Amino acid sequence: MIRFVLSRLLQSLVALAILSVVVFVLARATGDPLQLVLPMSATPEDYAEARRYLGLDRPYVEQYLSFVRRAVTGDFGMSIRARRPVAELLQERLPNSLRLAAFAMGITLSIAFPLGVIAAVRKGTGVDRIAQVVAVLGQSLPTFWVSIVLVEVVAGRLQWLPAGGNEAGLASYVLPGFTLGWFVVAGMMRLLRSGMLEVLDSEYVKLARVKGVLERRVVWVHALKNALIPVVTFAGIYFSILVTTAIVVETVFAWPGLGRLAYEGISSRDYPVIQAVVLTTAVIVAVVNLSVDCLYAVIDPRIRHAR
Amino acid sequence: MTRAKRIVRGCLLFLTVLALVMPGTAGAQAKPDLTIALSSFATESLDPPVAGHLVKYYLSLMFDYLVGTTPDGQLSPNGGIATKWESSADHKRWTFTLRKGVKFHNGDDLTSEDVKFSLERAGGKRSTTGYAGILRTLVASIETPAPDRVVIVTKDPTLIIPNYLSRALSSEGMILPKKYIESVGDDAFARKPVGSGPYKFVEQITGSHIRLTAVDNHWRLGAPKYKTVTIRVVPEETTRIALLRRGEVDVTEISRERVGEVEKEGYPVHFRKEEAILSMWWILGPDGMVAPMKDKRVREAMNVAIDRNEIAQSIFAGRAEPAAIPLGLSWSFKEIGLKVTPDMMYPYDPARAKKLLADAGLASGFSLDAYAYQLPGLPEGKAFAEAVSGYWEKVGIKIKLIPVDYPAFRKNWVDRKTPGSIGYFNIANRDWMGTFALLEKMAYSPSKPNDTVNDAEVDGMISQVAKQTDREKINTLMRNSFLRIRSEHLGMPIVYLHSPYAASKKLGKWNPGSVMYDLFFDELASGK
Repeated sequence: MIRFVLSRLLQSLVALAILSVVVFVLARATGDPLQLVLPMSATPEDYAEARRYLGLDRPYVEQYLSFVRRAVTGDFGMSIRARRPVAELLQERLPNSLRLAAFAMGITLSIAFPLGVIAAVRKGTGVDRIAQVVAVLGQSLPTFWVSIVLVEVVAGRLQWLPAGGNEAGLASYVLPGFTLGWFVVAGMMRLLRSGMLEVLDSEYVKLARVKGVLERRVVWVHALKNALIPVVTFAGIYFSILVTTAIVVETVFAWPGLGRLAYEGISSRDYPVIQAVVLTTAVIVAVVNLSVDCLYAVIDPRIRHAR
Repeated sequence: MTRAKRIVRGCLLFLTVLALVMPGTAGAQAKPDLTIALSSFATESLDPPVAGHLVKYYLSLMFDYLVGTTPDGQLSPNGGIATKWESSADHKRWTFTLRKGVKFHNGDDLTSEDVKFSLERAGGKRSTTGYAGILRTLVASIETPAPDRVVIVTKDPTLIIPNYLSRALSSEGMILPKKYIESVGDDAFARKPVGSGPYKFVEQITGSHIRLTAVDNHWRLGAPKYKTVTIRVVPEETTRIALLRRGEVDVTEISRERVGEVEKEGYPVHFRKEEAILSMWWILGPDGMVAPMKDKRVREAMNVAIDRNEIAQSIFAGRAEPAAIPLGLSWSFKEIGLKVTPDMMYPYDPARAKKLLADAGLASGFSLDAYAYQLPGLPEGKAFAEAVSGYWEKVGIKIKLIPVDYPAFRKNWVDRKTPGSIGYFNIANRDWMGTFALLEKMAYSPSKPNDTVNDAEVDGMISQVAKQTDREKINTLMRNSFLRIRSEHLGMPIVYLHSPYAASKKLGKWNPGSVMYDLFFDELASGK
């Protein structure tokens, strides 16, 4: 098991190293951030001075090495736009994204589990069809459209829930959490439904029924447990996606999270912020994937022995 | 219990939880907080020389200016730290008498040393404000003969110093606490700024809000009407309007196209009339205007080919007025005595445009690149660029519309990489001083990268303004600069844009004023 974890860890580190180079190069390919920071009246001397002040006048290799050296200690430099340490901005934003993603995943699980199981148990009935429609809608309606409609109707017209920001406590989480969660419901429900259908048709489930085990126990304990493996992987991957890519939802709901920070960094060509957000995102994805792999290996020993 | 019953019970439980977490209509109750929602916070830095003019909206609540203004931009001894200012006979020494008893939020007295420190810092290396350049070249030294007196000595005679350090322009005139900044350092100051304005800093959550709390009985506002002021950043307009409907914000930026809808619901909409001029220009080559725009007839043809009234009505929802003079910042016109007469307005005359092009030997038209981009305060940017291209196509000019982001256009503009191609900007309106500062950037050859005019006659007039000590002569020089730019068609003025701000129904009277990048929120909060 330790060998398996170490091998996965090494793979993740290599991926992070490659990514750090890619993001460093691509961030600079977007153009000069000083075009946005300095005023129209800035002279070439002003540009040179600002470049010196922000360390952008050094050779690229030197800039990269300095970035990596500091990044491993959690220092991502100073934001060009906010003129504050990027690590501080991450500390402010990341917890908001983690909380929102956790809430959204809670919504996903609470809808997808019953729907997926009931749809499988009642395959071909009206309930199954309704569940399929919910799934299709969740995946096919664009997130920005769902967000805008919820803000306009639920927050603006009906005035049931806050329209934006994260200052109104748990109520603030409902609309952005639902928007994010609904999108994931579709995939998870369908995965669970197909897994359940397969398991419900297996020999050991038939045997359990023959032995007189209560149907409720057969479905919710024996079958569900074995249909969970792909769902765990799916939930893990989607959790990291929810944390790191909720740009549209965070923008519409004025949510001060990592997605908005990424958007602000990209639109203002704030290299240190872009680099920090991408690397943080990559670390989150790597950690979640590693955890899922480990969990997978624990659940199904054949996987670790196969490596 | 049947499965159906369990499902119903689950739904009821969910609705109960939802009801518990919902704030209901609590947001609509009266609160001691003034909340403002803006679409963006330009830089999110709270250090005036770093943040610059774009963040005057909230910095002017935290800091005092050396010279105050009225909401309509007139210099006022009642609105700033200086209660009196006068120049020597040769206009090279400007003496400012400071208000006594002013304290910073940390309890330190505000003295002439703070003024000197602030002005030097505004012109220092850390500064990225928009207008420090002239101060750097004009100011020889700053003297502090007494705690309540500052003398600014200039290298050349000038009249511009009080205006340059006033609230009418950028953030150069904001007074900062010398002792505090020197003791905590620049970065700590930017994180926890201390000013002397009517509201002091409480917290900043980047991407969310800035919160300020009132100073009891400040000399500028008296006993404040609102205990706290919160400025929220809410990028999406639908969300800002929903917040307004819920009573969670008191003032919010809205787009021109949604004014009717918001007004219909009974929310007052306040306009900053002619807040910006939407002006277009050709990127110059190394030696100025390139062919075929070198020919005055081509420049005029491109101007008369545009139907400004239709653009104002259809693209800007009727919340705009046709403009006549390139770079013509109209808030300054009254001060400099410039009257725009009907014959100065460009008519929509495609037939004349075609004739002018034919006279210039371009009867079969020519090809031109035009950049299309959105800008803050100009969500209609790309639609506008498409509309204007359509007018030019009608008279035979083949336009290649290039969608870019503004920085990409700006780089081409200042590097002069694509001479002859066209761009635009919604230039914030301002007083005569700010207007001069703009002309000095965009219509003056020696300030090279940003020049859009390249005309020796205009250069000659602008070069005299900063050194001129007779105000009437300054007015004449600026007036004639504009008339020359208009008569030579050295740019394409399109429309003046009115900027709407929706307010809650109980906000009361508010004059957002006519000062560049400043909505005069402190007037809203004033208890005087």
